[in-house]
Order: sequence, then C-alpha cells, then structure tokens
Amino acid sequence: MLVTLSWLSRYVDITLTHDELVDRLSLSGLNHEGSETVDGEVVIDLEVTSNRGDCLGHIGVAREIGVLTGQKLKLPTIEFPESPKKISDLLTVRNEFTEACPRYTARVIRGVRVGDSPEWMQKALKSIGIGVVNNVVDVTNYVMMECGQPLHAFDAAKVAKNTIVVRPGRKGEKLEAIDHRNYDLTSETCVIADAESALAIAGVMGGASSEVTEQTTDLVIEAADFTPLSVRRTARRLKLHSPSSFRFERRVDPRGIDWASRRACQLITEIAGGSVASGVIDTDGPIADREPIVLRLSQLSRVLGIDIDAATVERILKGLGCHADFASVEKDASTGGSANSLQCVPPTWRHDLTREADLIEEVARIHGYDQIPEDSPIPVTPSSKRPFDSAMSRLRGVLTAAGLSEAMTPSVVTEKIDGALSPWTDRPAMQTRTAMLEGSRRLRRSLIPSLLQSRAANWASASINAELFEIAHVYLPPADGTTGTDALPAETYHVGLITGDDFFATKGIIECLLERLGITGQLQVETVQRDGFAPGGAVELKVEGHHETLGYLGLLDDGLVRSWKLPGKCVAAELSADLLVAWAHLVPQQQQISSFPSIRRDLNLVLPESVRWDSLSGVIRSAADERLTDLSYQETYRNEKQDGPDRKRVLFSMELQSLTETMSGSDADSIVENVVTACEKKLSAVLMR
Amino acid sequence: MSLQNFLSRLDQLQSDAESAFSGASNSESLEEARVVFLGAKNGQFKDVQKMLGGIEPTDKRAAGMRLNEVKNAINEAFNAAKEALEGGGGSQVDPTFDPSLPGTRPTLGHIHPITQTIDHLTEIMGRMGFEVAEGPEVEDPWHNFVALNIPEDHPARDPLDNFYLATAGVAGGDPLAATGEGEALLRSQTSTVQIRVMQSCQPPIRVISLGRVYRPDAPDATHFPMFHQMEGLLVDRHVTMANLKTVLRVFANNYLGDDVEIRFRPSFFPFTEPSVEVDFLWNGTWIEFGGAGMVDPNVFEAVGYDPEKVRGFAFGLGVERLCMRRHGITDIRDLYSGDLRFLQQF
Repeated sequence: MLVTLSWLSRYVDITLTHDELVDRLSLSGLNHEGSETVDGEVVIDLEVTSNRGDCLGHIGVAREIGVLTGQKLKLPTIEFPESPKKISDLLTVRNEFTEACPRYTARVIRGVRVGDSPEWMQKALKSIGIGVVNNVVDVTNYVMMECGQPLHAFDAAKVAKNTIVVRPGRKGEKLEAIDHRNYDLTSETCVIADAESALAIAGVMGGASSEVTEQTTDLVIEAADFTPLSVRRTARRLKLHSPSSFRFERRVDPRGIDWASRRACQLITEIAGGSVASGVIDTDGPIADREPIVLRLSQLSRVLGIDIDAATVERILKGLGCHADFASVEKDASTGGSANSLQCVPPTWRHDLTREADLIEEVARIHGYDQIPEDSPIPVTPSSKRPFDSAMSRLRGVLTAAGLSEAMTPSVVTEKIDGALSPWTDRPAMQTRTAMLEGSRRLRRSLIPSLLQSRAANWASASINAELFEIAHVYLPPADGTTGTDALPAETYHVGLITGDDFFATKGIIECLLERLGITGQLQVETVQRDGFAPGGAVELKVEGHHETLGYLGLLDDGLVRSWKLPGKCVAAELSADLLVAWAHLVPQQQQISSFPSIRRDLNLVLPESVRWDSLSGVIRSAADERLTDLSYQETYRNEKQDGPDRKRVLFSMELQSLTETMSGSDADSIVENVVTACEKKLSAVLMR
Repeated sequence: MSLQNFLSRLDQLQSDAESAFSGASNSESLEEARVVFLGAKNGQFKDVQKMLGGIEPTDKRAAGMRLNEVKNAINEAFNAAKEALEGGGGSQVDPTFDPSLPGTRPTLGHIHPITQTIDHLTEIMGRMGFEVAEGPEVEDPWHNFVALNIPEDHPARDPLDNFYLATAGVAGGDPLAATGEGEALLRSQTSTVQIRVMQSCQPPIRVISLGRVYRPDAPDATHFPMFHQMEGLLVDRHVTMANLKTVLRVFANNYLGDDVEIRFRPSFFPFTEPSVEVDFLWNGTWIEFGGAGMVDPNVFEAVGYDPEKVRGFAFGLGVERLCMRRHGITDIRDLYSGDLRFLQQF
C-alpha cells in the first residue's frame, strides 16, 4: 500500500520524522517496505497484512498514526446539495445475487462536465501510481485511496431502461472491459448489468460500453460490498487483479460504503459540477452495531506476561475506533467484577476484531512488543532424542565414512525422472496441479532417479563420479478408489544411495550399516526383475527374522545410465529408513569374549554352479555348532578341465572357538567333518584336499 | 686347521659378539666391544679370518660362506645394539623419506548443510525441553487450513499459492480443478504438525517439527519452491508471550551469537493471536527469520482443548535462512543442486 506523507497529513498531523514514523508503523503492524520521493511527494510503501483491509486507504493508515502519536483523526466533512429530483424516479436496482453482493448502493448525479481533474488530485493519484483518466474516474479512485472503498461510475445514459441488475453471468455471456479485452462470464461471476446486458464485472473491472467519457453528463455512482471469495475467484479466473478486487478480497467497511458514495458525490459536484439526485438506493437494510466483546484485563497479563494499566488499554482501543466502556459491564464473579473488565464494541471497519484475543493483540501491538520482557524462562523439562534421529545419525556416519555425500533433491520430479525406475510400486505417481520446477508434477516414488540425475549433473559439470545418498520421504500412491485420509499417499522415509560399478562394495556398505544399527539378522537377497535395473542385476533385500522388504539393490540398466550421459556403470540402492529404525538395537549389549585360543580351518569345496553362497553358508552354519564363531568367504574360481562343466570351487575359512575350553585339533576336525559331510549330502559338494 | 674347528670357532665368536653387543649398556662399552670383536687390527673376527688360510682347499668354499654369514650377523647385532642405544632412530628409515609429502586421506562423505543445521537446531531446542515431532508432507485441507483457523475464503488457500494434488484415478480429468482446491496438497507450513500433536497428546506439550514445506515460488537466489521450516509449539497452563520472546532470544543467542538481539513486529497468521514477525539484529541489520505468536483459541477448540484452561505459543523459522546466514551461502538453489563441489565444503 502506497501512501504519501502530504495526503496522510490531511487527516493527522505528522509529528514524527520520516524515519521515526516508518519505524513506529513497522513495529505496530504496517511493515515499512521502502520510501521514495516522487515529484516532491514522499511516498511510503507499507505492507498491509490480509486481515487489515481497513489500512488500504490513507484514512486507515492515518488512524494508526493517530493512535501511535496520541492524536484524534480529522475526517473531512461531507456536504453537497441534493436536487429535488428523487433517485427512485431515475434508477431502479435489483439485486439477484446476494450471495456475492450483500449490499449494493447507487446515487445519481446529473449534468456533470467531464474534463481534467484538478492539479492537486492528479498529483496525489500519480504519486501513488494511479493513472489519471478524467475528473469523474479520478474522484472514484481518489476516494478509494482515501478510505479503501472501491467505487464505480457508470455513464447513466448507457444504462438500458435505467435499471441496474446484480446477477450471475449467463452462459456464453461476454463483456468488453475498460481495458478493451473481452472476458467470459460464468454463473459464478457476479455481474453488474442493465436491463439488457452486462455492464461490469462486480468488484473487478468496469465495462467499456458504460464507461465515463467526454460526452457523459449523467452518472450512476456505485458503492457496494462484494464478497471476498466471489471477487477472488473471478479475479483469479480472469487473471484480472485490480486495486478494487484487492480491497474487496480483504473486505470493506459496511458503514464506509455510504460515506464513500457521499464523499464521491461531494468531490464530483465540486470539481465537475452537476447535481445529486436526492436519496440513495441501498439494497440492504440498516447496519447494526457490532457485537460487544468483553476484555478481561487479567487476560492481558495471562497472554502477554506484562500488566498494562486500564487507562492505557482504554486509550488504545478508543483510538482505534472502538466504543470501550468500563461501566457497562455487568458484575460477574467469574470475570472478577466490572472494574477488571472492559466492554468493547469494535468499529465496523475492523472485521478482524471479534474476540477477546483480538483485542489483546490490538493493545499489545500499539503498546509495543518491545515492552514484553525476554528474561522469562520456561520451566525445566527433560527431552530426549527420537530413536529415528539417533539411528539416522549413525546411518549418516556409516555412509559418509564409506565416502558417500548427502544430497537433498526436490520431492516433486519430472515425468522422465519418475518413469526411470520405481521398484516399490507400479501404481502411477500422484501429481500436483501446479508444476514445481521445469514441469515437475510427480511426487516421487523412489529416491534413486533423483540421485541418478544428480550424479549425471556432477559428471556433466565437473567430471565427478559423485557417490551420493539422500534420506527423504517417498510417496507411494494409495490404491484406486480410496477416499478420505486413506487417499493420502503412504509417505515414509527412505535412504537412497548411488555409487560406482562395484555391486559388492555397495552391498558391503549396507551390511556395514545394518551391523552399525545393531540389526544382527543376516541380509538376504532375492533376485527380482525391476524396470531401470539391469536384468538379473537387481535384488530385493530382506533381513533374516523379518518378513518385510527392507529395500532394493542393483546395477542400473545400461540404457538408463547412458540416457543420462553417464560413463560406466552405476549401482543404486534404496532402503526403508522406517524399517531400519524399527529393527535397530541402538544400545549394544556386550557379548562374552572367549579367553581360549581359536582355530582357523580353510576349506575348498567343488560345488555345482547353481549353489549360491547363501545356501552354502546356511548348510555350513547349521552343520557346525555354536563353536563356529566366524565364517568368511574367500574366493571362487573355476577350472572346467579338472572339475567338469557347471562346477566351481569356493574357498572359505572357518574360525572355531569355545567359550569354555581350549579346543583340540580333533575337536576342530570333527566340526569340519560334519560341515563337509553336510555339504556333500545336501549340495553335492566335493572337498578338495 | 680342520673345518670343524674353524666352524665351531666362528659359532663361538658369533655368540660371544652378540651377547657382548646386546649386553653393552652404553655407547662407550659398545665401542669397546666393537674393538674387541670387529677391530680392524686386532679384532677377534680379524684373527679368525686369518685362520682361513690354514683350511684345506677343498673346505675353503664352505668355510668362506660361513665366515661371511657370521660377519653379517655380527654386524647386524652391532647395528641393532647401536640403534637400541640411540633410541631406534637412524637407519630404519630410508634417507629419501620426505615427511612433508601430503598425507594419504581417506575418502569421507559429507553431511548436507541443511541436515547439519537441523541437528544443531534440534540440539539447541532439545536443551530447552523441546522434542521432535513429525507429520506427513502430503496433507488434507483440514490439517493444513481448517484446523489452523484458515477459512475457505482466505487467500492462503489460493491454488496459485499451494501445490494441490490432482485427483487420481478419475477418467476424463480432474473434477475439482474448476474450484481450485483439492482433497490433498503438499503442506505449505509445518504448522500442520501442531494439529497432529495436539490431537494425539494432552498438555503440557513442548515439541519442534522440522521438515520440508512447499510453496509455488519462482526459484531465485533466495526462493525455492521447496524449503524447510522449524516449527515450535509449547502448550501448558501458564504460558505468556514473554516466555515466547525469551525462548526465541535464547535460541538466537545460542545459534547466532551472544550479541544478537531480538524484536517482534506485529503480523497476521490465522493460527496465532497475537501474531508477530521475529527479527534478529545481526551484524547491525534486522533480519526476519520467521513468524510466531500465541496459539489462537480457535486452534485449541479445533483440537478439543479448552482455551480458558491452556495457553500456548508457536513459532516457525526458516531453516534455509538460518543455514545460509551461518555458512555464508548466497544462493538457496545450491542447497538442492546435489553438486558435490558444493556439498563437500560442509
């Protein structure tokens, strides 16, 4: 909201310097955005919050200055002669759309001479960026910028059958606005029409056919109340935001409507001549006083933590236009008696004041938030870290130690990124109506594609093989046909990671982080087919003892990697962070360390190619007893000449140790014997000696 | 002299020399021992070497080889004793060793600066008794607006200011697109978590919530359509704005520095009353870091609390702004670029 110092000074004396003034305004609710001098006028830009429509005119701002500096507001006296001709003989108004227009008022002025407005008015309007048109239109704009009530002047000669109808737009109806563009009207649009066709889009913009021109002599002055939602929807649909729609969206003062109408008649007749028909057409009844609000003074200290004396409270509220009265509150034990309470009728322009809490804020902001102390500590209370945060902190420790850096990438992705890979679900991604970045509308179902994009960007910009991870939500779409809260996506934290081409290095990182989180069950893999992963190179990850899928790991599809212009291969994985946390044991328990020496035995088995390490190690573990303290894979090699086709040799070591005694060589031999026998029987293994 | 005698003499010499060298307790006695065994003129080794001449020619080769071995062993024993007396330095290290060459560094990854900021904020607020709470990013309008006292005609609900989700699974387009709002949206503020916490717990409540929020701002150096907020909520029987100001002042002093001042400016948020903007005076400039206020009675009523019995305050600070100020980051977009050249600086 732009205001000029000279305009403000018509209603209140400016007793402060510019800098003091803007500082006081900022600290009482009208934030100072900047000031400049235009044509000798000091123009101040103030930010008006959406609840303070009353400050969208100079009088509203002046009222704030008045209460801050202890002055009464000087409002102009409105006087103009009325002609004997009654308005009811000149104009009829029918309101057929009260949902969008609770009140419509009209006055008629006849015999005006349209021309330029006076210098002072042109200067006032220009300095706050309002274009100058003619003396009639300029007055309507001036009054709007004075009191915040938008007005519209119609050329009365263009109003067919002297009838104004407030009604919804009709199907297929169009209007050429004063910007000479055509707008479609719908049944949701509130239209000001005459007996035949639309004249204006209510609260948004007037029409070209009835605009005031040099030839105009008779005027209809519209001052109305259009509902915020109706104006907002229309302005948005037509992409037509005006100073008028801005004010209606923030609500106008119902009592200010008539004031503004009369003020416009006064200024028009002073400047452009003409005579005002007697009376006004008003489609709604009298305006009732606002409901009184009781302010208990004890609540001020309860909310603000400071006491403010009753006289100050009264001065502030009265200065803001409230009727505040200590005496009229009835004795009421629960509120502590009348002396401690104030009955307050808020002014009609303050729609935001309806409750005690609202009055407390008014008193606080004018009294000054700097009065509130900042040495009032809250009582001591213990707090603890969530297991989730502890677990993620450990997880970050493992991943960074493994050389991966944490990235954060947008949650909403493009179709290309979303389509790259989605191991968790086949349901299509949920989409936003508005694109976020570069056409991104899809709520991601996996973190891997975003990390692939980041890896590609790193390669493209600096030839860096970026090893990255991210911890963020993924949004798994709900099943079709779900409603209510079930229609929200399954939204859980995942850990995504992307690395170079070593599958086992990445698998090792995952094994390591499971261990670090105290998840002791064996990591199990099952080969799965997933788009975006190399065929045969992707596995579903599970942990022994849990049935849920922990995540996916695999070599990415060559075609996908190449489509991102990345050289070489990529391995990616994604784990459910929530499952990691659920399965974690973050408080390690000490395990007994054997004080007896261990014995290491290396074995070399010839096995059918189809026997995987997980089944081999399973057989070994079940054949050995608890004295097998460690089983480590060494290597696999193949020698078809010696072992025949589809056979491989697998080398591994076993560490054998007892907690209770020194194991003898023959103890170890018997365990080895059991292992070898089991492998021979279950896996057709042959021991190489 | 027979080979046998020569070899046993050598063995004797080696064992005598080794025990003499290892038994030397200082460099003087070691030097004496060296003269006795390795002296160029009358050293015992020299004496034995001279005996080689008296060995049968057929045995000379074997005798010579053994002589060399013993010579090396005695020399080694001398060097070892010398090093031991000198403290182990010296010839263990290659003379070309350049300790000023750069170290071999392990490749460590980096934790994102926003995560570091969040950890830091959580830790500061934790010391004041605030625990972390979380909620979903995709919300329904009830949690994002209605319960937060944002009525249907409020501009904050405008589709242009929110990421509403398209209605899924409806053939022939999106029936709600005309009215603008949808059944779900990406939350525009973390205040939604307040509602979820108050619905599931009874006062006293002291939580912070950190997470991603979404608003359709065109990206530039200070705006990004996705960012993080830290939301704080305290509800108890006696809570005042002075408590709020104190908590935020303590926070600012902890995070930004002891000399940082705090200021409240009136503002408007539907879910707090009174509502204020929170400015911190940092390096001589007032910088806006977020909004705060006393929980609006309507919010308490929406979650079934009696506003006559409880009071509360809430605040929301922009995490990026705090992080960028602290680390001197000038473009918010760098945070979400995934660019390792940026990430590895933190």
